[in-house]
Amino acid sequence: MQARPFARPRPASNFEMYAWFFTRISAVVLFLMALFHLVYMDIALGVDAISFQLIAWRWQNPAWRLFDLFLLTFGWLHGANGMRIIIDDYVHAQGWRVLVKSLLYLLTFVLIILGAYVILTFKATG
Amino acid sequence: MTAIATIFRDVTYRGREGQIAWMLHRISGVGIFLFLALHILNVFLMSFPSDVFNSVLFFYHSVLFKLLSVFGLYLGVLYHALNGIRVVIVDFWPGAGRYQAPMWRVQMVIFALAFVPSAAVMLARMF
Repeated sequence: MQARPFARPRPASNFEMYAWFFTRISAVVLFLMALFHLVYMDIALGVDAISFQLIAWRWQNPAWRLFDLFLLTFGWLHGANGMRIIIDDYVHAQGWRVLVKSLLYLLTFVLIILGAYVILTFKATG
Repeated sequence: MTAIATIFRDVTYRGREGQIAWMLHRISGVGIFLFLALHILNVFLMSFPSDVFNSVLFFYHSVLFKLLSVFGLYLGVLYHALNGIRVVIVDFWPGAGRYQAPMWRVQMVIFALAFVPSAAVMLARMF
């Protein structure tokens, strides 16, 4: 057998494969959860019904907190990963790409911490 | 005019359904991402006394935001969700790639059937 001179080199890590897989797994999860969230909040309840009191009432049930926590992390990580791909596609200059991606990762860290903090620590005292 | 000609050439390039599906997926994805950043910051205001959260509601109850929530957010999420499922089917179902274009047309019919009545319900309640 002749060696394959043009064999594709093995990637150094499987990160891109896991990211590709995560996008599709979270897509199926978000298809159910995000659409349910929109239909429940915007169609069943309506934008005008949304207030501090309504969300406080909703968060009395730990199941809703868990639902929101899943939606926050799956939704944001799916979106941030998509933005990472888009940055790779359009930002070609090395310096700008590092800067824009660093801002994306910083935003990801801050927003998931802030979102998880309020979902987990909220006390319905009004 | 050059910009319009460029856009026209880009959207009418030979990619046909697949290219238009991809462009709409990307545009709706970026839009949802931007809204989500605002949405998380907004919900974070729940950790302050109730008047803080309620004081920003005027923005969400404005006519502009209500129209954007139907013809921007809801439209974009519905398209992105349906098209995303088509992408997952094409990626995981051997041979499905051959039918991606007719699948997109079926998807757009489902999209219209889902969007029109639900948007009508939302608009009827809002205004």
